[in-house]
Formats: sequence, C-alpha cells, structure tokens
Amino acid sequence: MIRLLTYLLLAGSALRAEDGVAFFESKVLPVLQQRCYECHSHEKKIKGGLALDLKTGWQTGGDNGPAIIPGDLAKSHLIQAVRYADPEIEMPPKGKLAASEIEMLEKWVAMGAPDSRVAKVAAKARTIDFEAGKKFWAFQPVRDAKAPVVKDTAWPLDAMDRFILAKVEAADLKPAADADAYTLLRRVSLDLTGLPPTPREIECFTADLNHSSFQIRHSAFAKQVDRLLQSKAFGERWARHWLDLTGYADQIGTSNNVFAEHAWRYRDYVINAFNNDKPFDQFIREQVAGDLLPADSPQRRAENIIATGFLVLGDVEIVAVDKLKMEMDLVDQQVSKVGTAFLGMTLGCVRCHDHKFDPIAQTDYYAIAGMFRSTDSTYKTDNGVWSSVHKTVLPETAVQKAQREQLLAANEAKIKALTTEREAAEKEKAAMEPQIAKATKETKPDLEKKRDALVARIKAINGEVEHAKFFAPIAPKAFAVHDREKPADMQITIRGNPYALGDSVKRGVMRVASWGEMPPIPANQSGRVQLADWLADSRNPLTARVIVNRVWQKLFGEGLVRSVDYFGVRGEAPTHPELLDHLTTRFINSGWSQKQLIRAIVLSRAYRMSSAHNAVAMSQDPENRLLWRMNRQRLDAEAIRDSMLAISGKLARSAGGTALPLEFPENVSSLSPKAVNPPAFNLKKMRPIQDFERTIYLPVIRTAAQPGSAKLRDVFDFTQPAQISGKRAETAVPTQALFLLNSDMLRTRATELAADLTQTESNTGARLETLWLRVLGRPITSTERDDAIRFLESAPAKTAWIELSHALLSSNEFLLRL
Amino acid sequence: MQAACSPLAVKAPRFPAKAKRVIFLFMSGGPSQPDLFDPKDYIKRMHGKTISAPINTNELRVGTDKFLALATHGEVRPRGQSGMMISDLLPHTATIADEISLLRAVHSDNNQHQPAALQFHTGVTADVRPSMGSWISYGLGAENQNLPSFISIHPDSDTRLYGSSFLPAAHQGTKVVIPQGEKQSPIDYLADVSGDAKAQRARIDFTQRMNRRLLQQAEVDVRMEGMIESMEIAFRMQSATPELVDISNESEATKKLYGIGEKTTDKNGRACLLARRLSEAGVRFVQVTMGGWDHHGNIRDALPKSCSETDQPCAALIKDLKSRGLLEDTLVVWSGEFGRTPWSQDLSGTSPIDKHGREHQPESFCAWMAGGGIKPGFTFGETDDFGFRPVSGKVHLHDLHATILHQLGLDHEKLTWRHLGRDFRLTDVYGNVVKEILA
Repeated sequence: MIRLLTYLLLAGSALRAEDGVAFFESKVLPVLQQRCYECHSHEKKIKGGLALDLKTGWQTGGDNGPAIIPGDLAKSHLIQAVRYADPEIEMPPKGKLAASEIEMLEKWVAMGAPDSRVAKVAAKARTIDFEAGKKFWAFQPVRDAKAPVVKDTAWPLDAMDRFILAKVEAADLKPAADADAYTLLRRVSLDLTGLPPTPREIECFTADLNHSSFQIRHSAFAKQVDRLLQSKAFGERWARHWLDLTGYADQIGTSNNVFAEHAWRYRDYVINAFNNDKPFDQFIREQVAGDLLPADSPQRRAENIIATGFLVLGDVEIVAVDKLKMEMDLVDQQVSKVGTAFLGMTLGCVRCHDHKFDPIAQTDYYAIAGMFRSTDSTYKTDNGVWSSVHKTVLPETAVQKAQREQLLAANEAKIKALTTEREAAEKEKAAMEPQIAKATKETKPDLEKKRDALVARIKAINGEVEHAKFFAPIAPKAFAVHDREKPADMQITIRGNPYALGDSVKRGVMRVASWGEMPPIPANQSGRVQLADWLADSRNPLTARVIVNRVWQKLFGEGLVRSVDYFGVRGEAPTHPELLDHLTTRFINSGWSQKQLIRAIVLSRAYRMSSAHNAVAMSQDPENRLLWRMNRQRLDAEAIRDSMLAISGKLARSAGGTALPLEFPENVSSLSPKAVNPPAFNLKKMRPIQDFERTIYLPVIRTAAQPGSAKLRDVFDFTQPAQISGKRAETAVPTQALFLLNSDMLRTRATELAADLTQTESNTGARLETLWLRVLGRPITSTERDDAIRFLESAPAKTAWIELSHALLSSNEFLLRL
Repeated sequence: MQAACSPLAVKAPRFPAKAKRVIFLFMSGGPSQPDLFDPKDYIKRMHGKTISAPINTNELRVGTDKFLALATHGEVRPRGQSGMMISDLLPHTATIADEISLLRAVHSDNNQHQPAALQFHTGVTADVRPSMGSWISYGLGAENQNLPSFISIHPDSDTRLYGSSFLPAAHQGTKVVIPQGEKQSPIDYLADVSGDAKAQRARIDFTQRMNRRLLQQAEVDVRMEGMIESMEIAFRMQSATPELVDISNESEATKKLYGIGEKTTDKNGRACLLARRLSEAGVRFVQVTMGGWDHHGNIRDALPKSCSETDQPCAALIKDLKSRGLLEDTLVVWSGEFGRTPWSQDLSGTSPIDKHGREHQPESFCAWMAGGGIKPGFTFGETDDFGFRPVSGKVHLHDLHATILHQLGLDHEKLTWRHLGRDFRLTDVYGNVVKEILA
C-alpha cells in the first residue's frame, strides 16, 4: 500500500513525459517482449484477443476488456494477472515473473503507463453483417421451385423425380433401372422398420409385383409401404434416429453409473410420437417448452412434461464441484443441442466469441442461453457434492392411481414380512450366542455355521428392505425442466468463465434466421415458448429443411445436404437445392407430417432405383451426387441385432417401459439417501426377455460396454450416447468380423434358426429355400444351392445347419441393404 | 485398396522427430503426489491442524471442509545424481531417477474422475473427441501394417478414452487384456465360438464365396472389398494375437525384472512387458492402465499397496527399453488423471487423522516422462508451500499433449481434422510445448 502511494505521488509529481517513455523503453518493453509477446503480439499470437506489442493493444484489451487502466493497479487486469491474484488468470501461465519484474510493471502502470509504440498494423475487428449473411442459401426463405422439364417423361412418378432426373439427364446419364421386387421389399422394410420382410410378406408382394400392369405393381408396393408405416416397428426404428440427436442414455451424466430411472418415458414418448405421426412442429414445441404448453387432459399434460426430457437426457454433468459453472455448462449443452438437432448450426462455437464462419453473433448465443438459464434443469441432492436432473411428478388418472396404491400396499406388506423375518432371525441369533460360548469343540462349528447363516440372512434382508423402500411405487415422474422463479436475461460470460461477466443480452433468437420482431416474452417465463415458436415456424429457413434432409439421408444413405448436422458455410452445399425446397414446402403444407414425407419419398421412382454399377456414371460421378442410382447402406447396429432376432423367430414384442432392471437388488448400490455418492447401477443381471427385445428397449450406458446382447452396439458404430450426431459411421474393421465369427449372440441366433428350420421343413431343398428367404429376403440361386448342399455334406452332421445359418448371418448381403 | 491410400500408411512427421512411439502408463484414480514426489515442510509441521490453503471458494467440498494438513506418509528422499525427490514407497522408480523428467506442477481442469480422465485422453472434459493415441495414429500412421497402430491394455470402462471419434475408425484403440486363465482371450470375440477350427474355416469360406459373388454382381464396391478383407484379417488375428501376447519366450531374467510371477506385480508386470513387445513391433501408441489409486480414506494403508503393484513394472519397462536401445526413440509418460490434496479427507467425519485419505486435486499434480528426447534426471516445476497451486514450471494437460506430439515430430497446431466445419485439434485452442524438459 505504501508502495502504491509512493507511485501515485510520483505520478502526480512533475515527472516528465520523456522520463516515463525512457523508463518504458529501457525497463518495461524488454519484459513485455521476453515474457509476453510469445502469446500476445501480432508477430506471434493474440491469445484471448490481447496484443501487447502496441499501445492500442492493451488499451482496447482482450476478452476481459482493457488490460491496463493507467494509474489504477487494482483495475488493471495485466497487473492482477502477473501477481497471480486470480487462479483463473495467471500470467505468464508457465510461471510467475520475478518479483522485481512485477514491481517494475506496477511502477509503470502507476505512473500512467507511458507507451511510445504506435500502430504499424491496423487491427480490424470483424463484425457480423446479418443482411449479407442472409444471402447464404440456408438462411434464404424456402422457395417452392417448379419441377423442371425432363426428356424421359415416363420415368418420374412424382414431382421430386423430375428434380433428380433433370440433373442426371443434364449430365448425359440415365438413372438406374428399378430394383427387383425382392431387393425393393427388403430395402423398404429395413428402412421403415429396421426388420426384414418375412417369407410370407415376400410371397404376397412378389405375386403382385411381377404383374405386367404398372398400376397393379405400384399399388401393391404402396400397400406394403402403408403396412410398414402403420406397424409399431416403424416408431421403434425412427425413434432411435431421433434419440441419436439427444444424447439419450439410461444413465445421468458419465460419472459413477448413476441411473436415470425415468429416462425410458422419454424414449417411449418418442416412439409414440413417430407411430402417431405427431406433427413435427408440435414435436419441437413439446420438447423445448412442453411444460409451458396448455393441455386438455392429464395424459396430454404428462406427455408434454415428458417431452422436455430432450433438454436434460444428454450427457449432463452432475458431479462438478463448482455448481455455477456446472449449470452454465448445461446451458451450453442445451443451446448446442437445439442448434445441432433442429437448426443444423454449431451454436456451441459461439459461447466465447462470434462464430468464425457463420453469421451468428455471440449475442445470438446469449439471447437463447438466457432462456435456458431461466430454466431449472438440475438440483443439488443430499449426496456429497452431487446434483441430479430435475424430476417432475406426472398427473395420474384415477385408474393409474388406484393401481399404484395397490402396488404400494403390496410393497408395504413385503417390507413388513421382511422386517418380521429379520426380528425373528435376530432373536434366534441372540439366543445362540450364549450356547456358542458354552459349546464344546465338537458342537461349536455347527452352531457357528448356523449363526453365520443367520447373520448373512439378516444382511440380505437389510438390503432387500432398503431396496423395497427405495423403489416403493411412487407417483410417476419424468426427467423434465421447469421455469425458474425469476427468469432473466443473461450476461455474456467471458471465455465461458461464469465469474467474468460481460454485457447483458436480451433474450431472443438467432438474428440471421429471423424475420421481424420476436413476440415479447411474458415477465414470469423463460422464453422457451417463444424459442419453440420460432423454431417450429414455417418461416424459419433452417428447421424444416434440416429435418427433411435428415429423413432423406436415412432413406438414401446420403443427405441432399451431406453434412446433415451442419448447414453452415463450411458445410456441404445441397446437391439438389430445389428438390430440398420442394420437399420442405410439401412437408410444411402437409402439417409437418413425417409419415407423409417418408411415404412420398419411398413411393418415388428415385427410391426404387437399383444400386447396380454403371461404369460411365461411375467415372463421371463416383460419389453419386447426381443420384443416378440408389446408395447401398450397411445396416446399423439395431437393424443387425433386431433382424437376427426376427429371422430366428425369437423377437419379443415389447410394450416399452423401464430399461434398467433395477428391480434386482444386486443391480443397484449406494441407496442410502445421504451417502457421499448417489444411488447407482451395476448391471450384473439382465431380465431374460431383454435378450429378445428390440435394441431400442435395452439400457443405453454412456461410459461402459453396453450390457448383454446390446454389446453389438459397441461393435457396429452405435452413436456414442454423449454425442449429438445425425449420421452413423459405417466402418469396416476386423473387430466386426471377429464379432460375426465368434460372438455368442450370433451363434445363439444361428442355432435357433437352424432348429426352427429343421423342425418346420422336412427336406433339404425346402429348408434352403426358407433359409435364403428369411435371411436374405430372396430365393436361393442354383449356384448357391449346389454350394450349400456340398457345404452341408462336408460339415459335421450335428451342426451342419447351424454352420450354414451362421455363414449366412455373417454374409455381406445380410449386413448390407442394397 | 493401395497401401498409400490406407489411413494407416506411414506418414512422415512434420519435423525431425525425437520419438517414434509412445507408451502411456496411466495411473487411474489419481496418485498422491504429496506422498510420492512433492512433500512440504509446512504440511508436515501442521499435521492434523487446519491450514488455510488458497482454495477456490466456489467449489463444494465433502469431508475436507476442515482442511487438516496430512503429513507425507513415509520418507521422500533425493535420488540419483540429480537428487530427484522420490518416496520410499517407490523404491524401483527411485532407481530410474536419472532416466526421467519429473513434472511437479502439472494441472488440469476438472476434479472428478470421468471428466478428468476424459480430458487426459482427449483434451476435453465432456463430449466425444478423438483420443491422444488416435491423433498420433492419424498423424503418423502405423509402423507395422499387421498390427493396430493404437493398443490400450486394461483400459478403464469409458470407451471414449481410446475411441477415434470423428477420425477414421482405423485409428481407434484396440482393447487388449492379459488373459487370466485359459478361457479369457486377449481381445473380445477372439476365441472360436464353434470350437471346431475346421468347421469354422469351412464356414468362412462359404461366407466369402457368397461375398465374392455379391461383389462380382456389384462390380465395384470398396466397402464390400473392405468387409471381405477384414473377415480374413479377423481369421488370422485368432492365431496371431495369442502369439503376440505370449511372453513365454521372454527370458527368466526379463520376467523377473518386471515382477512377473510375483503376486502383487504379475498383472501389471505382464502388461508392461507386453507394452514393450508391442512397441518393439511398431505399435505407435501403447497405453497401460493401472487402477486403484483413488485413496479417499485410510491412504496410509492403501497407498503402499498401489505403489507395490505398479512401481516395479513401470521401472522395469524403462530399464528394459533402455537395455534394448529403444528408450531413445520411445516416449514414456506416467501420470494419473489428477493428484491428491495435501489436506486430508474423512468421509465418515469421525476417523482419527491417521485413517484419513486425500481428495482429488487437479490444481497441481506430478507426472513423469522418459526417453524420446526428454531430459533425463530433471525435475521441473514447483508448487506453493501447501503443494496446492503451481508457482513455477506450470504444465497444463494441453501443454503435455503439445509436448508429446512435438517429440513425435507433429505440430499440435497443425494436426487438425475438419468436422462440422471446424478444424479440431487435440489441444483445442491451447497448448505450448514444454521446451524446458527437452534434452
């Protein structure tokens, strides 16, 4: 303090300007050059936005504002940083300056920071021009272009075919011929339901499909498509595509295997949304702001609440010790998820600075972030430093309530019975102790054994009682969010540091994708309703395009915009921009119906094209950007496992419900309410039925190998459930081949399939026919029949059909959809 | 596919490299640096009394709210010619003091296992990014085309720690376990499920005939070719992998060096010896994970056990590499995901101080590096009087990553992959090469 006063006096005295400059040049400048320039100069780097090789550099300062306030040591970030006063900003980062160097810098700042350096380079700040930004295709309004004229007028079945054909014709190419009936039925069955057609379905279809009349063939195909769209299996497949965009898991966060025992409600909600063809705009509104929407029945209200699980079922960190930072990180995750899933924008990039490539300002980010900051997503529990995801009690119908009360009574009875048993055991044990004390060498071991058995039983009962109490039937709950008591705008956090705050930003939406003023946010609300309205508006240039493109990608293997999660300037431009807009317009006009969109696409001519090779087209367009043929796809993990179950005849119908088998006490630990760590799962035992349920119903674990037969997910490119990604990888690595060769699961399916074949068909010929129809969805060829018969004859008699089934289930034709 | 196009084809480093490969010894759980490498007189004097460390008051604490100083367990003494400080609990590491650089002011950003381990392996505390080994495989390719370029022995359960994320799958780590008993195989699905080798080969032949007919129909399909090829590789792996992990042809002296056959050191000894064999065979990045370091309670009992399980195998690896002339171009890194606090933790709230443990500490911890152009017998970095915050020689994880890449001839700012429009790096937007520890 005394030192500071001295400097102030000095500064105030008649210190001549040139003395100050001389001091700067001889003493201060060398320190800056040697210790700071490496990271803070125009020649090297300008970290944190701060340059120290110019006077204007520290005057303007970096992300934290001016680095030096002449004469004011306490307010000069540079001085605070070199003093190592704040652990968040210690400079130089590798080690403190010498005390003499720090003192010199302090002296210099105290005297008013004289600095003789003038700009050699004019640093120009980048500002975002939103009007110019709007000219980029993705921010342009959707335009309904007229379908182009084509030469081959017989080929198109739908307007969308003309957009494709026109480009193919312009390149002097021809589209591929229609795929044969077997290929087409297998393709559409796998794409729509994730399951192959059964031999009976194949038989029914191919009879009509070989008809000479195109009309009959077409309506036969349409009938199949409608059957598939109406099946429950449709939602079970397409819901999983959506879950890939949510980071869904049956686990909260990644630490300690904390179970997310209500997560399944969201999964079932998504399955039902697809099966009921919930309009996509409504689907958005419910997931972003369901808790704030009106509902006309308890069930609808429950659904709306469950839907907001979208915001909290990702990889939510709940163990961070700095709760403010933890909450801010979750807000960031929510903004990023909304950006990627609905908008195809990398909003996470904008937390710390304006987007480097796209016209999105940091203020756009905080406009949306303010809404999530005004929303409660987590709360601190009684377990050590842990938090948990917020849960909302769901409204019940009278019937549901009555059922629950019955279950509760049964549970109480169970607890009572266990307690009675424990008391008896304790009494018996107490009575035994004196006997043991008195026992002889001969009788003692027996008595002790009996006593130890009692002790073990008491311990087991304690566990069972704790488990029964913990999992007592309660009113249904869902992981969901709700608005905070005092919603408010949010301040920019500098470099994401919640303790370094910048300007407050009015809540709102991304300016480059908006039109006119946003409706006002009610004073007591977060603004999520307004956000949802903006996302789900037909004028939003991104939302509808992004989902239409996602649907197209699932059906054609590649999107019209190939970077399905990123529509920004560094993403891929659409191969067929007019087609994308045409489909988007139809989608919006249909009331955002995904089923109608899917139906229209699969009934097009383009979807029916075969995936056959064409040397000329291949040399001109090897990536098939013109869509001169259908793309082949590898089945995803779910389709591989589910198809094997369907083929072996073992697929179990499931009504959904809980994924984690928490009803087995051995699967859970740390149930006591105030333990240092929260209740957690440790999956030792699965329900037997789970080996036969569709993969979507199995628990999803974020940080460990997937349990049971869901292990296959790890091998075949399942999206990491901490990631938001609309497109699965399709790798070919030896691990997959090893799985196909040696996994128990595959062998079991092959064994079941072989047993079923030998039971249902009496002779080799019929068995082979059926085997090929079941596994590959087509009749066996004569070459294959000869090959198979030779194989069966030379294989060990007992396992011959198992070997053959196994061979087919590991073939590329099974793994690919052509 | 031609070798030159393969993602694993050897790529030249950007500048002359000191190291060709890396072995990362990951001490999962957080080894206690106040006990092993960085004792403080002040803490010793204050043992059992409250201290006022400059902690971050925004953070919640459990069982450490009294901030009772917990003196170092056992003696930490100067070792080797440089006088590097190493605990009596690590007698074998003490003998390699003149081979290693000890970093005493490493720090990272998260104090929970999963995010901290994730950051150590991928640079970020959340999300899914390529792991260090994947980046290195991507940067340099595989030296041996018959082996994966990245192998992780006994990895923790989080598959992201050896995942390749958006980098090509060829760069993902292959998980290997040392088989305990006949039934276990070193990698998943390696054992013939049919138990009949002849029948299995006949089945593969049948499948491959089907596959080739399909390929013939398709005329051109790179993926189908890849799938056919990987089926054959998988078949060969069934016999080649057990051979690779079979250490029976190693000399008795070597096995003894690693503590193989001794109850406490057998598992890690085998893992470290395998790491040497894999490195020797040209695997770019080998990781060995050794767990059990998470000593929240009764650290004075538990720490010696973790030390005795790992000390000899790790030291043996350095000696073995050196005697084979491999240490020169093999970079070895030893570290946990964080360290532990100089004050005690008592979750029960009732134990006497001698039964306390220590809480996680990412603010500063110790790691060591050896070989691959790292200064031998060098101690770098200093912490404050508590052993809590670094005062000099600070090395952030990003700096450590930058340094590892640098020794391999890779520039951490230029080793990038474009994903969702952005060029990603292992070091994100951070990282400085720690030039002070380079030989």
